[in-house]
Formats: sequence, structure tokens, C-alpha cells
Amino acid sequence: MTVVLDAVSKSFGSVKVLHELSLEVQDGEFLVLLGASGSGKSTALRMIAGLETVSEGRISISGQDVTDALPKNRDVAMVFQSYALYPHKTVAENIGYPLKIRRMNRAEIESQVREVAAQVRIDELLERYPRELSGGQRQRVALARAMVRRPSVFLMDEPLSNLDAKLRGHMRAELKHMQHELGITTIYVTHDQVEAMTLAHRVALLEGGRLQQLAAPKTIYEDPENLFVAQFIGSPPMNVAHGRLDAGTFVIGKDRVVTGGTETVANAVIGLRAEDCQVVPPEDGAIRAQLFANELIGDHTLVTAKVGDDMVSIKAPKEFEAGFDEAIGIAFATDKLYLFDKDTGARIRRT
Amino acid sequence: MNRSAMQWLFEPPSIRDMAPGTKVIVYAILTFWTAFVLFPIYWVLITSFKSAIDVNSGPVYLPFVDFQPSLHAWKELFVFDFWDTLSAYVNSLIIALSATAASVIIGSMASYALARFEYQPRFGVVFMFVLVMVGAFVAVGRYGVDWRLSCAAGVAVFYFLARALGRHFKARLGNGDILFWMISQRILAPIVVVVPIYMMFQQVSLLDTHIAIILTYTVINLPIVIWLMYDFFTSIPIDLEECAQLDGATRFGVFWDIVLPLSRSGLAATTLLVMILSWNEYLLALFLSTSRAQTMPILVAAMNAGERGILWWSMSVVIIVMIIPVVILAIILQRYISKGLLLGAVKG
Repeated sequence: MTVVLDAVSKSFGSVKVLHELSLEVQDGEFLVLLGASGSGKSTALRMIAGLETVSEGRISISGQDVTDALPKNRDVAMVFQSYALYPHKTVAENIGYPLKIRRMNRAEIESQVREVAAQVRIDELLERYPRELSGGQRQRVALARAMVRRPSVFLMDEPLSNLDAKLRGHMRAELKHMQHELGITTIYVTHDQVEAMTLAHRVALLEGGRLQQLAAPKTIYEDPENLFVAQFIGSPPMNVAHGRLDAGTFVIGKDRVVTGGTETVANAVIGLRAEDCQVVPPEDGAIRAQLFANELIGDHTLVTAKVGDDMVSIKAPKEFEAGFDEAIGIAFATDKLYLFDKDTGARIRRT
Repeated sequence: MNRSAMQWLFEPPSIRDMAPGTKVIVYAILTFWTAFVLFPIYWVLITSFKSAIDVNSGPVYLPFVDFQPSLHAWKELFVFDFWDTLSAYVNSLIIALSATAASVIIGSMASYALARFEYQPRFGVVFMFVLVMVGAFVAVGRYGVDWRLSCAAGVAVFYFLARALGRHFKARLGNGDILFWMISQRILAPIVVVVPIYMMFQQVSLLDTHIAIILTYTVINLPIVIWLMYDFFTSIPIDLEECAQLDGATRFGVFWDIVLPLSRSGLAATTLLVMILSWNEYLLALFLSTSRAQTMPILVAAMNAGERGILWWSMSVVIIVMIIPVVILAIILQRYISKGLLLGAVKG
């Protein structure tokens, strides 16, 4: 089912935590709300769930205005970061609770609980209590409880953040597969860009209660709207160097980079992904830099270098070796560089 | 390395074990304390079997050795005064159980509301309510207006005043203020309000009835229930309740299915405490009952008011039958008073 947020705002007292957020989530889409803590992403999710009131704007689910509807009347299921399993109920009772409330008969509940439990592979744990389960198992129970009544929309609030790194990677893949199989519209909140990039059909990046960009992961990585998005997405984050843009030529210290555009901006920022740069001898590089450190990661070497006052990271071949403070040059293809206005953060698109 | 005798005696072999010497001392203290606590009960028990001479001729400790036990006191209360004893007993049971049930049910719902909803009554409105009610009481007491009429008029006047003037008041009270106001009602010593309460029930002709005592006990125990349960309710993770709401539960469903089972140890402890308080209450019962609604504590006290002096043996019999229900309730409830109920609710 579709979820539509129309200029939704939220204020706590005089503090506005969400500014006119507008989103349209398609039927069956996996949308990730990505942002740092305090970006308003959880508040947005809780408003869709009905756990927070809406200060301004409208929310509708499958065409129905639910702005003032109670949580139970919205047909949404939520997986909490803390899992929120009922500690006094067994796994089977936990999963069956939403059905029990709907006064389904006992035999029907049992068969549905078994079916869902098998789907998330916890069918041997049905008689246990939450306290007897591991973190990963609790996570599955929470998921099963959300799945059992086939809601119109799944809401997930950082569901993987309490798991250890290995399990998280595993559950991520399972979650993605499951969402594909069930085809239920899912809105997923996370601060982890890897989760966002791997899971989402589209990512909505929030910062300071404002939507920065809403796009597919590939687009958001390759075509960021502004400096914030560029620096938030990617590991390591996009390299930036400060300088000025003079009729299409970026001036950084003594170096001049021809960008192919014609703009003039006094405070400009040049951005480059680590994998789009090559380390070359100083005289061959478009920008000269001083090597700060190099770290062998495994399949590549991560070279950190100083450009003026900015630090940049470059992915070099794993055979790369150089001494500290050695002068190096950085080469890149002109079409791989991004330009931003330092003052507004806006992308400067070359005309 | 050789350990000296003292080390062997008092140095614990591991962090979980006690050294033999320490163990002996600990158990000696515990044994002494157990005896110390149980002795009065033993004393009451044997006193109930003593004759007047055995009591008055100095302390005797062991039945059949020191003195010849007799059933005369038991006979007196359960054969000759059977109906009086039974009536007091039944009164006590009815009053204590009803008052406990009422205060636990009302109190836990009130404290859940305080724990989960934010109230911001305007100070001025609260003040107006107090003023109007004082006015209503004055009208009843001073000018002999019918109390029903006066109360109804008071509520009506308050309603229209609040509607008309309410929004002009700026200062607001919060949940903390309400909670403190509740507990302040208990801090107030009952002796201060006993005469007004007496006069109030006299006014409505409810003296010496169960309902008067039940109402009074419920009111004086409500603050305790609210105060104790507030802690239990706030310790329940809000995620659980939000999750239940999303699962489709109503507000009351959340309270019934999730909150109550999770706070049952708190409820058990609170119920037991309130039950004991109501069961033992003396002062208010003394004022509010004369004969028909008399409770057990009054009966106990009556034993030292007779022309025959203090009837220690009879008093002991009454005390023994009086502690039985509380002991039974404590045994039933203590298995619910357990820790770790919330384990596994949240986090990994």
C-alpha cells in the first residue's frame, strides 16, 4: 500500500524537529529514512505509526487520511529497536498477540503462528520465553510478530542495531529477501548508510528535520544534491577540498583544475570519491598533496593525504608504498568531480 | 603455604563461600533473630491457653510443664460470645477485603494514568474548585441546605466558572504536583481528620455501617497504592505499550494484557500491605463503628476495658484468629512477589 506524507511537521513545544516533510512511498517499496541521531527520522516513523501526533500536514496510507487515526486503526506493524517482546508471553503468544486481539479462533492463530515462525526459522522456539532467547532470535520473533497479520505497511526502527556486526550482515540479507517475497511496503529507519544503501529501493536522507535528498541508492551516491548528502554517503566519505571557482577553473593553492564549467563562486568546494582518484607522481597530478598516512586494507591501500588544510582519502592499489610526508599528485577524470557552493551547500552543476 | 587457624576460620575460600567461622556467627545471629521475632507469637499462643492464675502469678513458659493449658478463653469467645466474635470477624473480612480491592483497583488505574499521561490542570481552576466546594460545605453545615442539593449546585457553579474563566489562568500544575498532593493526603495524620470524617458520615446517616468504613479505608489507602504502583508502572518500557497499541490493542487492552501482568509483583506487594493496614486499622474504626460494624481491632481493645481487668487470655485468642487471614494472604501473594519479570523485554 502507498504511504503519503504531505508537508508533515512536528514540533515539541517551541522546538521544530521535522520541517514540512513530503514523501510518497510506492506500493511494495522499501524506503529507508537515513540520518544521524536527531535528524527527525524516528519522529517521522513514529508519526506514520500514530505514536506521535502530527503538528502540521497530512499523512495517508493507501489513500486514506490517517493523520488523526489511532495506531490500531492504521493497519501498520512496527519492529522496535528494542524488539519490545512481551516478557510474560511465550514466543508463540507474542507472535499470536495481534491475531488474538482480532479475535481469531485458537486453531487459526496456531496455524498462522507456525507458518510465520517457520518463515523466520524460529519454529523450535515457540514455547520459550523472550528471556531465554539470544539477540538474533528475539529479533526474529519481533519480525514474525509484525509479519503475522499481513499489515499494509511495515515500519522498522533501527531493527538491526542491537545485533553484533556479523549477525547484522546476515539479518540484513534475510530482511531484504523477505521484504521482496512478501511485497509489503516497508519504511525503515537507520543511521547506518550501509544498511540504507543495501536494503533500500529509495533512500530519504534527513538532516536537522529536513529532507536532503530522496533517490535510489545509486543516484544518491553518484548524483548527490548537496554537500551534506555527498559527505554523508560513502565509506570513506567523499573527499572535499576548499578553494574558489574562477570562471570554471577551480583554484586550490597553486593548483588549478579545469572543471569544464563557466561558473564563478568565491567559496567553493570540490568533491571527489576516494575510488575516483589515482596517486601519481607530483608533476603528473591535477592537485598536489602531501602523504599523511597509508593503510593497507586488504584489497586496496587507503592513502590519506593533505591538500591545503583538507584531508583526502584515495583508494590506491594494494601494492602502493610511499613514505610519510612524501609529495604526491592526485589525478582524476574531470567528469568524476563534484562542485558545491560552500555557503549554501548546494551542488554546482556544470553547464 | 600454611594457613593459620584464624585464616581457615575467617578467610572466605572463594568469593561465593563463607569461611566456617563466619558461617557459625552468621547463623547464630540469624537463629537469635528468628527466635526474637517469633517469640511474641509463641507468647500470644500459649497465653490463649492460660488460666487467669497462670497469667497473674508470674511468667510461665512451657505448656504441660509450667502450667496446665485450658481452653476456657477459646470456649468463652467461640461458644458463649460466638455471635459477637463472628460478627466482628465477618465485619473485618468484608471491610478489609472490599477496601483493599477498591483501593488497589482504583489506585492502580490512577497511578497508571499518572505514569503515562501528562496532566496540566490550571492552578486557578483547581483553586476555584476548592473554593466552590468549601462554599458548598458551608452551605450544608451553616445554613442547613440539603447536602445533595448543595453538592449538585457546587458542581454546576464550578463547571460554569471553569468554562468562563478557566482559560485566563496561566499557571499550570504537573503530574509531579498531583502525585505529591496524593501522598500528602497520607502524610496527614488520620487523627487530624477523624472528627470531620465522623461528622460527615453522621450528616449522611452512615455511621456504624460497612460502607462508611470501606470508603474511609479506601480513601486513606489510595495514596499508598498510587505511590507504590507509580514506580512499577514507570519501570515498564514504553516500547511494550506502544507495540501493543500497534498490534491493535485498545488503551484498556494495553493496561490489561501488558501492564497488569508485568506489574503483578508490585500489585501483590501493594495488596498485601493495604490489606494489613485495613485489617489492623483501629482509630477510624473506633469512631465510625459502635456495634453493628465493629471490627476485630476494636474487639481486641475491648478486652482491656472490662470490669474484670485486662483479659490477656481472651485478647490472645482474638489476636490469633486475627492474624490467620493475613498469614494466608501473605503465603498466597508471596510467590508473585518475584524479581526479573521484565527480563527479555527489550534489548539484545
